Amino acid sequence: MKAAPFAYVRPGSTQDALAELGRDGAKVLAGGQSLVPVLAMRLGRPSVLVDINAVPELARITRADGQLRVGASARQRHVQHHAAAAEVPLLRLALPWVGHREIRSRGTVCGSVAHADPSAELPAVAACLDATMVVAGAEGVREVPAGEFFTGAMSTVIGAEELLTEVRFPVAAPGEGHGFGEFARRHGDFALAGVAVWVRTTGEDVVARISCFGVSDRPVTRDVSAQLSEALATAGARPTEPDLRRALADHADQIADEVVDTGGDAHASTAYRCRLTAGLLSREVARAYLKSLRSAEEGTSR
Amino acid sequence: MSLPRAYARTEADETVEVTMTVNGSATTLSLPSRVTLSDALRDHLGLTGTHVGCEHGICGMCTILVDGEAARACLLLAVQLDGAEITTVEGLGRQDDLHPLQEAFGRHHALQCGFCTPGFLMSSYDLLSHQPDVRTEDLPAELSGVLCRCTGYRNIVDAVDDVAQAHRDGIPGPGNCAARTLVGRTPAGAAATVAVDAVDAVDPGEDGGRHPDEITLPVGEPTITVDVTSELESGPEDVARVFGDIRLLARCLPGAELTDELGHDWYRGRARISLGPVRLSFQGMAHILEQHDDRVVMRGQGKDTGGGGAQAHIVMTAAPSGSGVSLHAEARVFLTGRIAGFGRSLAGDVSRRMFEEFARALDRAAAGAEPDAHSRPPGAVSILVGALSDRFRQRLARLRAGRRRRTP
Repeated sequence: MKAAPFAYVRPGSTQDALAELGRDGAKVLAGGQSLVPVLAMRLGRPSVLVDINAVPELARITRADGQLRVGASARQRHVQHHAAAAEVPLLRLALPWVGHREIRSRGTVCGSVAHADPSAELPAVAACLDATMVVAGAEGVREVPAGEFFTGAMSTVIGAEELLTEVRFPVAAPGEGHGFGEFARRHGDFALAGVAVWVRTTGEDVVARISCFGVSDRPVTRDVSAQLSEALATAGARPTEPDLRRALADHADQIADEVVDTGGDAHASTAYRCRLTAGLLSREVARAYLKSLRSAEEGTSR
Repeated sequence: MSLPRAYARTEADETVEVTMTVNGSATTLSLPSRVTLSDALRDHLGLTGTHVGCEHGICGMCTILVDGEAARACLLLAVQLDGAEITTVEGLGRQDDLHPLQEAFGRHHALQCGFCTPGFLMSSYDLLSHQPDVRTEDLPAELSGVLCRCTGYRNIVDAVDDVAQAHRDGIPGPGNCAARTLVGRTPAGAAATVAVDAVDAVDPGEDGGRHPDEITLPVGEPTITVDVTSELESGPEDVARVFGDIRLLARCLPGAELTDELGHDWYRGRARISLGPVRLSFQGMAHILEQHDDRVVMRGQGKDTGGGGAQAHIVMTAAPSGSGVSLHAEARVFLTGRIAGFGRSLAGDVSRRMFEEFARALDRAAAGAEPDAHSRPPGAVSILVGALSDRFRQRLARLRAGRRRRTP
């Protein structure tokens, strides 16, 4: 379990980092919590690692233009406890599920998004909130919406010579509620199935979006506003959580059948993943709706 | 958290220089970029308390603190940690003054084979230092980053809960962090260099008749402090005669031998120590700083052939006492490498015994007899037996005292 030799460089600016990434076989090293195991098992043998941790601008966590901007080397644990991150409640709900404390101390939000493991939490959060990915390359900087960012298992639109410098999460507005749940065999393992939920309630109108993970080769995002409206028609506009969950359960199996497209593996069959997804999404959509209701009334977001 | 400095591209077959603080001691290592922090700590700094299990971030055995937050040392490349402050289990508590978590783990039988214990200690330290109000029911999830195959976790959770309950205002910091020597157990020639002034100041084996300007002691707390007073039957004048003859004085030390006189009060010598199956063989130098009839001050340093090192500052004074002499020896001894692995208290006992034996030999020498310590060089067998039986007696006494307390 020792990595193969590689060259190492720690540039001090984004420009220098991009220049180094221009070399053949270069790979970005941020927190290394996904990359180092890959190296240790020699599943990957990059010829050079470009350590971006000495670049000051990439370590920043800022709030601007209604967005929480998380830089490429900002640690998950710091984001979890950062005051600005409280305004993106879904991120706060999801981060405790990412690995363990010991992993989050070093692991980065952007690294997890760029690594794009199909069963990872943060890509689903980015997809659910329709976050914006800022990708820098030799030709300049481009902004990619989350819906176009993930192209397959561990694959994104980031080119070999590009760097994900920042992920911009929209700050939650009043009337928004969130839910997050996953099922893993042990805490900290990659999820067998999980769901991130965003709901907005404005007067009588509800908009609901879910991103499921662990069930396909990338996060699967669905608009479930129609299903939530129908469930509310059954359960009433101010339902209890159990009532709303039961009403949502009528739709959940069908949604799950649509989003789960992974074959079974040693950990869980396709049918089991569908059951998990259906259960998780009815619970979390119900919770997110009730939060959005309170948020709309109190004028806060949660 | 401070950012590391930028570092120029280093090819795969070259080494990268990294400066970090480990348990309070600044150290600079020159390592291939692929070396993990766990390997750097164990193989290059001799800090083998950090265990390595799966080596890919699952088991948590290698949990350490980076800038006060727990992380897995096997998932960090050492070269990433330039400027970082690392705390390992060695820094958490002292053998004679354990951290409350260590005490609690012992009290609750929170370990069986002990392999996961360093990981659990560091993970739970991180937990309690950041969330002192953690709820009992959250502990299993919060401690899930480290695996244990012996205990079934309940005793570990109980131990951590115990400490959490007792320290709601925050737990005490690591109790064993100080500037001290860090020298790896890897043999000379390995790519480890240490910033703290260390044994490498001279190479006693090969530099002909030359000697350094002075023997520099490491900064920080010595591994062992010896403070022994022995009553000698010989009179002050006889003791002064031995103090005046360094060769004779050296022969009083069990296993020691002067091989060369380098002039200007510098000597080269060797010492062999044998403790049960353990054989240590030191080559080194001594420098006499003061030599009076009633006082000798010297410094010595040596390298053990197994890769360890020792440095010592020794002050011996002889004061008239009745018809004889009261011989007082004070020594600050700095040990590194494999000998430091003996543990502070046993090494301390052995050193103290050596001084006592030295005093007896000096008494014989002062009386004009052969200081017979030299005639049987590995004299430390009896020293170890003495040290062990001392400890056994102390333990017995403690047990008896404990039993007395419990009897109503």
